[in-house]
Parts: sequence; structure tokens; C-alpha cells
Amino acid sequence: MSGQVLDGFLTLASPGTFLHLIAGFLLGLAFGAIPGLTATLAIALLLPFTFGMEVKDALVMVAAIYMAGIYAGSITGITLNIPGAPSGAITTLDGHALMKSGQGTQALGVSAFSSTIGGLVGVVVLIALAQPISALALLFQTPDKFSLVLLAVVTVTIVASGSLLKATLAMVIGLMISTVGIDPMVPLGRFDFDSYHLIEGIGLLPAVIGLFATCELIAQAGVPTRLAQAQTVAKVTRPKRRDFLPDRKLIKEIGFLTYAKSSTIGVLIGMLPGGGASMASFIAYAEAKRASRAPDKFGHGSYEGLAASESANNGMCGGAVIPLLTMGIPGDAVTAIIFGVLLIHGLVPGPALLGENFVTIAPMFAALFVSAIFVFLSVLAFGPLYLRLSQINRGLLYAFIGMISMVGVFASSFSFFQMWMALAIGVLAFLLRTFSYPVVPALMGVILGPYLEEFLRRSLIVSEGDPTIFLRSPGSLVFLLMTAMFIWFLRIRPARLRKRAEAG
Amino acid sequence: MPKILTGQIVFACGLAILNSIYASQIAQMELPFANGEPGPAFFPMILCALAYLCIAAIILSDLRDSLSESAPRGAGALLRVEVLGPILAITLTVLYILAFVYTGYAVATLGYTFLIALFFNYESSRQWLGSALKALATALGITLSGWLFFVKLFDLYLPIWEL
Repeated sequence: MSGQVLDGFLTLASPGTFLHLIAGFLLGLAFGAIPGLTATLAIALLLPFTFGMEVKDALVMVAAIYMAGIYAGSITGITLNIPGAPSGAITTLDGHALMKSGQGTQALGVSAFSSTIGGLVGVVVLIALAQPISALALLFQTPDKFSLVLLAVVTVTIVASGSLLKATLAMVIGLMISTVGIDPMVPLGRFDFDSYHLIEGIGLLPAVIGLFATCELIAQAGVPTRLAQAQTVAKVTRPKRRDFLPDRKLIKEIGFLTYAKSSTIGVLIGMLPGGGASMASFIAYAEAKRASRAPDKFGHGSYEGLAASESANNGMCGGAVIPLLTMGIPGDAVTAIIFGVLLIHGLVPGPALLGENFVTIAPMFAALFVSAIFVFLSVLAFGPLYLRLSQINRGLLYAFIGMISMVGVFASSFSFFQMWMALAIGVLAFLLRTFSYPVVPALMGVILGPYLEEFLRRSLIVSEGDPTIFLRSPGSLVFLLMTAMFIWFLRIRPARLRKRAEAG
Repeated sequence: MPKILTGQIVFACGLAILNSIYASQIAQMELPFANGEPGPAFFPMILCALAYLCIAAIILSDLRDSLSESAPRGAGALLRVEVLGPILAITLTVLYILAFVYTGYAVATLGYTFLIALFFNYESSRQWLGSALKALATALGITLSGWLFFVKLFDLYLPIWEL
């Protein structure tokens, strides 16, 4: 295996592949740093282009976007108090406090250094654990697979913020979209309304573009520029590149233990379905505060807090890829879209993927590793530019997103109908967002729906309609218990504690 | 008097109508387990039932909130969003797809990106001429780069000129 991993690194030495890595990294930085844009959107917009790419180039580019995008969420959080992505929200607490006290360049430097450490730890764990977990997952039978997919769908739904009912309904809508077209098991068209267009089904690409890119364009058209820039409280300065090198004393102060613990928390949370960068950074931050000698500084400019949240959210990247590749469970929106990239290239994420295609996937591991290093280098190269990123012209930005979304859907399907579908799903997603329905569960429904249905029906055919098959299979029972455990710990218990606190 | 019919309830009712349209198609399929197997209608039936349950619970919860004296006025009502911008963005995208079909990539993209950029630029600066000039440069740049990206770099087909 180590030879294949090494081959993955050697693949990056090819100029074409390396260019894809650089392009993906820059795209991830830009999308992560600009408020309103995310790594998820960047990968969604990249989807149509991957049709014309070699698999390894597509995976390398996606990996680079992922690592850079998660890091970059903290850049405008630190400089302008506007996190570019949700994962940068916790970093903003201390990062922006440091910025206001005149330590912005050091805050950016420490943030990049910590992200690199977390990112590297995550990739090392990914390389070490991916194949053993895959080997274990190969033993899964159909009922086990159903319960596993159910676990993924349920957890992403329950971790969505806001109303559980709305998250569930959004997930059901996604699942319904996935049922349109030819039935996966018998040659019969469903929900086609006698239209030959609908019998093909709604493509994954129009669904992803609609849910994220088109929806974003429509939503941003409703946000006046003065409001979009209202939170800009920091004046942009013009420092030198060397100012972004983190001070050794600061790194010592933060301590090895903080880095090790926060990175590990990030990896572990990344491995949980529905974990995500925001949850990783929040938990690592809370733990760092609990263990700190100066907990009072947290929230008012603590480098320890900044390092903890940044190590964790980039450590999450490697961790989140483990369940995706080994069991076919995308834990969050980005990995859900990476799932789509793999599918587009005929690679089905799951237990057999690494056994049969390790050579194809290895460059992705290498790209994550190299991108983690690039994160630190990027702050030295682009530090001064980061301070001006949020001032990009919105007309240029959203005209570009509008064009890429629609033309991208056409170029990948040669179908005007799929363009209409992307727009329709975009409008639906905008309405869902407007009425506080989360969109990510809908995406999970669209992607995992076909698997959920197929495994459910196959299991019931084998058991002749007896649903207890899901309780009789040990693997399935474990996943169902895990589902129940997640529901208890992530929804029921916090709600009870909240009620008790309100009553007391 | 509290307002009963909030935006949230209207939207949930809209989803219920869409769910009913979905259900009407299930009615045309064979019943699950009619030939011993779950069949194509089984999973959609579960989804449909789950959707009705969620919608009913959302409507009930929102009704309870809107009737409750303690609930803040307007709670659960339609969130305040600027309406004109989204409607314009949707309309322009509809026109873009139509123009794409009948005129091809070049004309449609040039017009679409110009109008989208003009909207954002004017909304920000309130100056027609400056916004239009910036939007024109944006439209030319994006149309050209889109062609370079899709056609030249990735070798994908686009109907460039259909007039």
C-alpha cells in the first residue's frame, strides 16, 4: 500500500496534475475566503468541468479545493469579522479580537500554521486507516448497507441547525427527487408525467448546481450591498509578507498538546457522519478552553483558541474522507459532492473502491497532504491580498456564478431540460432557505436516495417482506443502534438539557 | 388579533400540494407486495406519508405559535427578504435559458451576464452609466472566459451561434 501512496505523490509531479492542484487550491482559497461563497459551491461549480478531466486530475483538484476552502473560511473571519464559511465562525471569535488589537498578521499566520498541522494529521490518519476500514466494510451484507445509508441520512438531518421537522422534510424532498426516472430495480418509469425528459430522471449535476449555485445567486440578489458589507469593521492595512510568519514563542505558548488534541478531535469528528468542520472546531475550541491555563482570554484574542479551532477544522478534512471512500457515506455537503465527482467518473464509493481502485484514489490523498502544506505557504504568498479579498465586485462574482451554473449543466448533459431542472431546483432551494429549511439534508437525499431504496427493497425481497431482517443482521443492528445513539446525543438529550435549564 | 395564515404555513401548504401531485403518480403504480416484492411504489409511498406527517406537524406547530399570546408578533412569518432581486434573478435566468436555446451561447451569455452585473453594480452604486460600463466589461470578460474554459480548455460542446 505504501508503494501505491508513494505513486500517488509521484503523480502530482506531472505538470498537468500539479496545475490542477494549484488551480483547485486557489479556487478553494477564493471561494472559502469570500463571504457567501463556500468550498461546497466551488466543488459544485467544478462538477461540469470534471467531465472533460482525467479522474486523477478531477480528484486532485477537488481535494485541493476542500483543504483550501475549509482553511480560507477563517480569513475574512479574522480580518473583517465575516467568516467566509461556517467552519471559520469559531475562529472569528479570537481571530478578529486579535485583528482589532493590531495582531491581525500574526493571527492569520497562526491560523494558517494550525490549519496545516491539523490537515497533515488528518491525511496521515486517512492513509493509515482507509484500507483496514474498507476491508472490514467488505463484509457488510445488504441489510447492513441499508442501515449504514440510513445512519448517514439520519445523522445529516439531525445535525442540521433549526427545526428537526423541516430538516426531515428537506431530506424527504431530496429522496423524492432521487425517485424520478427509471426504477432502479425494474424497467419502469416513475414520476415522469409521460414526459420523455423526466424518464431519464433528474441528474445529480442539475440537483447540486440548483441546490447550491443557482440558489446562492437568487439569494444574493435579495441582499443589498450595504447589508452584505455592513459588518465590515476592520480597516484594511498593507503589511509585508514576513509579518505573517508566526512567532516561535507563540507556537510554544499554544503548545504541542493543544495541536495534537485539537487535530485528533477534528479527525474523529470528521469520521462521524454529519460531523463537519463547524462541529469539529467548536468542540476542539471548547476542549482547549477547558484545559487552558488562561480560559478568560478565550473570545477576547486567545491564540490557543484560534489554533484549536483551526487545527480541528482542517483535521476534519482527512477524517471526513474516510467514511466516504470506505463505506460510501458522505458526512457533509462537500464530501457529498465529492461522492458525485467519483460517481461521474464511474467510481462507486464504498467498501470495494479502495481494493479495486487504490491507484486511482491515491493522488487524492497526496493532494490533500500537499494542499495542507500549501495552506501555510499561501499565507506568506497571499497574506496581504487576503486583507482585500472581501472587496470583490459582486456584479462580476454573481454574473460568473450564473453563467458557470447554467452553461455547466448544459455542457455536461447537452440537455436544455436539465438547465430548466437546475433552475427549478434552485428556486425550490431558495424558498426552502427563505423559510428556514436546511438544504444539505435535501442534497443527501438526492445522492443517497437510490442506494437507500435499492438496499431496502433487496433486503425485503430476501426476507420475503419481513422487516426484522434489519434487527437480525448483527451489522445492521449495530448501525441502527448507532443511529438511535446519534439521535439521542445530538437531538433529544440537548433538547432536554435546554428545557431543564429554562425551567431552572 | 394574531395573524393565523403566516408565510410559513402558506409555504408548507404549497409543499403539501406538491406532495399530493407526487402521490397522484404513486396511485398509478402497482401496490407494494402485490406480487410478493416491495415493487416501485413501496419507497415513494413511505416518503409520501413521511412528507405529509412532517408538513402536518409543521403547520400545527406554526398555528400554535401564531395563536399563542406569548409568541412574539410575526414569529414564524415569512422572513424579511428583498423580493425584487430574487424575482429579477429568476426571470433573467429563465430568459437566459430561452435565449440559449434560440440564439446560442454567445448572445445569450453576453446579455445575461451584462444584466446580472448591471443589477448588482447599480444596486451598489446607483449610477447608471458607470454600472453599465462595468457590466459591459464584465459580460465580455465572462463570455470569453466561459468559451475558453468550456470549449477550448475542456473540449466540451456549446452551441456558440444559433442565429
